[in-house]
Amino acid sequence: MEPLLLTKREKRKLASQYADLCLTCGTCAGGCPVTGVDGLDVRKCVRLALLGMDQEVIDSKFPWVCTLCGRCEHACPMNIDLLALLRSARGKRAREQVPGVLHKGVEQCLKSGNNVGIPKEDFLFLLEDLGVELAEELPGFEVPVDKKGAKYLFTINSKEPFGEPEDMMFWWRILYAAKESWTTTSENWEGVNWGLFTGDDESMKEIVGRIVKNYKDLECEYLVLPE
Amino acid sequence: MTTYHDPCNYARKSERAFGHGYYEEPRWVTQQCCENFVDMYPNRANNFCCGAGGGAWASPYVEERIYYGRTKAKQIKDTGAKLLIAPCHNCRDQIMKSLRKEYDFMDVEVKYLWELVADSLIIEPREEESE
Repeated sequence: MEPLLLTKREKRKLASQYADLCLTCGTCAGGCPVTGVDGLDVRKCVRLALLGMDQEVIDSKFPWVCTLCGRCEHACPMNIDLLALLRSARGKRAREQVPGVLHKGVEQCLKSGNNVGIPKEDFLFLLEDLGVELAEELPGFEVPVDKKGAKYLFTINSKEPFGEPEDMMFWWRILYAAKESWTTTSENWEGVNWGLFTGDDESMKEIVGRIVKNYKDLECEYLVLPE
Repeated sequence: MTTYHDPCNYARKSERAFGHGYYEEPRWVTQQCCENFVDMYPNRANNFCCGAGGGAWASPYVEERIYYGRTKAKQIKDTGAKLLIAPCHNCRDQIMKSLRKEYDFMDVEVKYLWELVADSLIIEPREEESE
């Protein structure tokens, strides 16, 4: 390893406004179930960032094994924004080096409106089909799509239409029993924003913006992300 | 007996981001449906993550995700509950599809909070209404 000249330290790449307040107490790492994985822990990530060794954190798998659960941040006596620091390490990875399918999901969502690329016509057919099935038990039930002025706008976790479609019926039963006015949308209905996980603020904002647009266009009162 | 898992996002992270952690509301809902309720320890703001948050459920680091879940698995088993309410897609999948098998508690049933409510409802079929 090259000797580290603190006087020539680059500007810190990882986001954290308060990392230099760290007392090195280790409360953060002490309560974290993945302390030690890949030779790192939260406290060490803060030290690396302070020493200008940001790249070591960015290249490590630790920020991806961490689930950004926030237990460390909650316990930190100096109230350091540890999640901002760890999430920014994810964001600093080249996009093709984002582990697994997460970035592919983001790209797919930007392109097709949902993380797994379900075509609009298949989605609408599925909703109608399941609606008819539920109506056998609950007379008059149907799945309202793009219904202007509905009280609740529901987004959908794409894993349900993709792999567990009948799980969508739990909410539908509740809404039927409560006689509530609700709707979902034919486009940009994805409720899972993987930009949050990949540290990709720009994509995250675009995906949120599309949901907000649906919400405004349809003049709904509440937006529900049952995720 | 029923227990409840605080998802990081509804609980501790919501408290930090919005000034209100949803700790009591889901417990209230759960207890309207289930008579015998027991909390895990620790809980609420100090609850342990299921191990699949932050995209870990979709990540290739499977071994690390299961290792992470060991604390959650122990918390659940220690309660003795046979029904666990997990009101988050990630948490539910991690606990139901992975941790139950890996840490040997297949006898514990896992449900979403809204699944518990839907299953508890006795719905009166609606008369056809004229619009």
